[in-house]
Amino acid sequence: MFVKDLYAISPQSTFNLTFEAGEVLEIVADRYLSHEPNYLEFIPAGQLRRMGKAVRMGIGAGLPLIQRNEPLDGIIIGSANGGLEDCIKFLNQIVDYEEGVLTPTNFVQSTPNALAGQLAILSTNSGYNCTHTNGSLAFENALIDTQLQLSQSADSTAFLVGAVEEISEYNYNIDTHAGRYKGEATSNSSLLSSKTDGTICGEGATTFVLTNNSTDAYAEIVDVTQITCPTKEELTEMIHVFLQENNLNTEDIDTIVLGNNGDGRLDFWYNDVVTPLFPTAQTLHYKQFVGNYRTVSAFGLYFTVQHMRRLIANTSQKRPKNALIYNHFDGVRHGFILVKNSAES
Amino acid sequence: MEKVCITGIGAISAIGFSVNEQIDALRAGRNGLGHAKHFQSVYAQQLHFGEIDLSDEALRERVGNLEAPDLTRTSLIAIHAFQEAVNQAQLDQETLSSRRTGFISSSTVGGMCYTDHLYNDANNKETASQFVKSYEGSDHTLQIVRLFNIKGFTDTINTACSSSANAILLGCQLINAGKLDRVIVGGADCLAKYTVNGFNSLRILSENQCAPFDANRDGLNLGEAGAYLVLEKASIVGDKPILGYVSGWGNANDAFHPSATSDEARGPLLAMNAALNVAGLQANEIDYINAHGTGTQNNDQTESFAFQQLFDKVPPYNSTKSYTGHTLAAAGALEAIFTLSSLMHQELYPSLQVKETISDFEFQPIKSFQKGVALKHAQSNSFGFGGNCTSLILSACL
Repeated sequence: MFVKDLYAISPQSTFNLTFEAGEVLEIVADRYLSHEPNYLEFIPAGQLRRMGKAVRMGIGAGLPLIQRNEPLDGIIIGSANGGLEDCIKFLNQIVDYEEGVLTPTNFVQSTPNALAGQLAILSTNSGYNCTHTNGSLAFENALIDTQLQLSQSADSTAFLVGAVEEISEYNYNIDTHAGRYKGEATSNSSLLSSKTDGTICGEGATTFVLTNNSTDAYAEIVDVTQITCPTKEELTEMIHVFLQENNLNTEDIDTIVLGNNGDGRLDFWYNDVVTPLFPTAQTLHYKQFVGNYRTVSAFGLYFTVQHMRRLIANTSQKRPKNALIYNHFDGVRHGFILVKNSAES
Repeated sequence: MEKVCITGIGAISAIGFSVNEQIDALRAGRNGLGHAKHFQSVYAQQLHFGEIDLSDEALRERVGNLEAPDLTRTSLIAIHAFQEAVNQAQLDQETLSSRRTGFISSSTVGGMCYTDHLYNDANNKETASQFVKSYEGSDHTLQIVRLFNIKGFTDTINTACSSSANAILLGCQLINAGKLDRVIVGGADCLAKYTVNGFNSLRILSENQCAPFDANRDGLNLGEAGAYLVLEKASIVGDKPILGYVSGWGNANDAFHPSATSDEARGPLLAMNAALNVAGLQANEIDYINAHGTGTQNNDQTESFAFQQLFDKVPPYNSTKSYTGHTLAAAGALEAIFTLSSLMHQELYPSLQVKETISDFEFQPIKSFQKGVALKHAQSNSFGFGGNCTSLILSACL
């Protein structure tokens, strides 16, 4: 399947492409919050006020792509947690008001499929609609779903595919309890060289128009795979089989795009298990721009495609031809996205 | 295109702890709706629920006292049903761990079922609870992946009340595309303050036993269930018994309202037609419908309208939510299993609590238990918040 269009709302100024032009923001914080566009240009104020951040960012990243690529055949979203802020607001009401009379807005907004549903309503899209919530593989699952839907159609078919995750005070607290964050303000410019425990939380919405039509495509997503709870040996074996299935060997991969996040306990998967398999490949990192969150591999794909389009200024990296994007979360769920530069094929 | 065979089913709900116990209740017309015994809420004695009559401790014992302190009720229910399904399909450890075996689950409340623990952890009230890593919607999936050492494709879907119907749909497509040889599909949801208060805030919960397709229906009962099916491609089934086939699937969005279906049933009709198209069937070849039938004014009116539009003569239909309540993410898989039971045993179960049928339509749901009915193809519908509509077609292995 082919990437025809893409958009990102992230802690960098990706929404207006100044990030790509070379203005990388330095962020010193214990969490990296999104730089959001002025949504009022395309979302009515009344509706915008009722939207939680995940839905707002998702609509903000999704609607412009739908509008400039209509008609689309469906909407497929990956989000581990959906609108958590709304969710815990509703939960707090339940506890604080002892299950009294509650307003439904937070409840309806909190369901992870609220975004795909809202996008369908706003664009009157009655096509295939699905939301994947498989933790840090939710975006990879959305891609695999899209691949299946596209493969069933002989006609030119296109889907809006995206991922969204928000930072709320609540999930920040929960993940802090679970030992996932550094806790102290950390500069994104030194995040990846940090060796302490935990990472820095990020957020964002990243959307793509994916199609089975190669005309004017920016890149080709050749294949996607994933595994949960592998041993190092199982992960290595899986990578070899995955490349073989796509008629590639490790030397064909000229770029590996890794999800290093500065967590001293877990970056060995990138550095010691996967990197040595690709001695001839260059390495790209991306979490120093946006932090870590469950569906952040969608930003990894965005960043890779922007590289392939030569949109990333001030880079010493070669333009990728065959890139393998690898991300894991907690060392538990591992996802791989194989991307090919369409212009080189 | 290879046939997608069903070789194992497992379910637990308010009407039984195993598939067979639930079939007995369906035959006897015995619902599981009442006030809550185990679920703690100010609404426990006020509303009707489809509660599984087991405490968390009893559930934990029944699944074999697993060495995992962080299993929520959602996970325990899921594991209970999963074990039954994989045992029936005779999946050994090597098969379960094969890269050619997938697992697609679904849940709406997921790991958020212990509202009070979550409240404390999210608001930094005290030291972390043992569930601090278990709140994600996909936690129960991960627990099963760990316990059963699953190494292939895994997914969790949340399209609200159509979630596990979409798990079935995706599983069928993965087998069809040759990506997997077999896949375990389904979902689990348990009663939780979160969902009960959510639905209550929308004022669609009934204080009585729910009465889908009754003229005076006044809302739904929330239920809890876990339900899984083992799907295998025909060429690897061997001499194992085939229980039936999934022969059609369709997914569409109503694109109308976040929590109501359109009067003209756009999404439901698109999904039903898509499923017929995949199955290569005409509407008049459907012998039975397991309706979404929640018992709300909106759903049952819209769904009946869709039947009127789709069928020249509406086939026998019921809502098995009149037995189990609305089990949310689990409903699609649970009702696919009940549909399969009708096909396997060539019998129809009555839709309960119907006193007066909806006057706009001349058809009415199944009134009594019927044996020896010729059933070849059946439709099972699931519609959810966010406009998510999915229709499945199951076929008998005769």
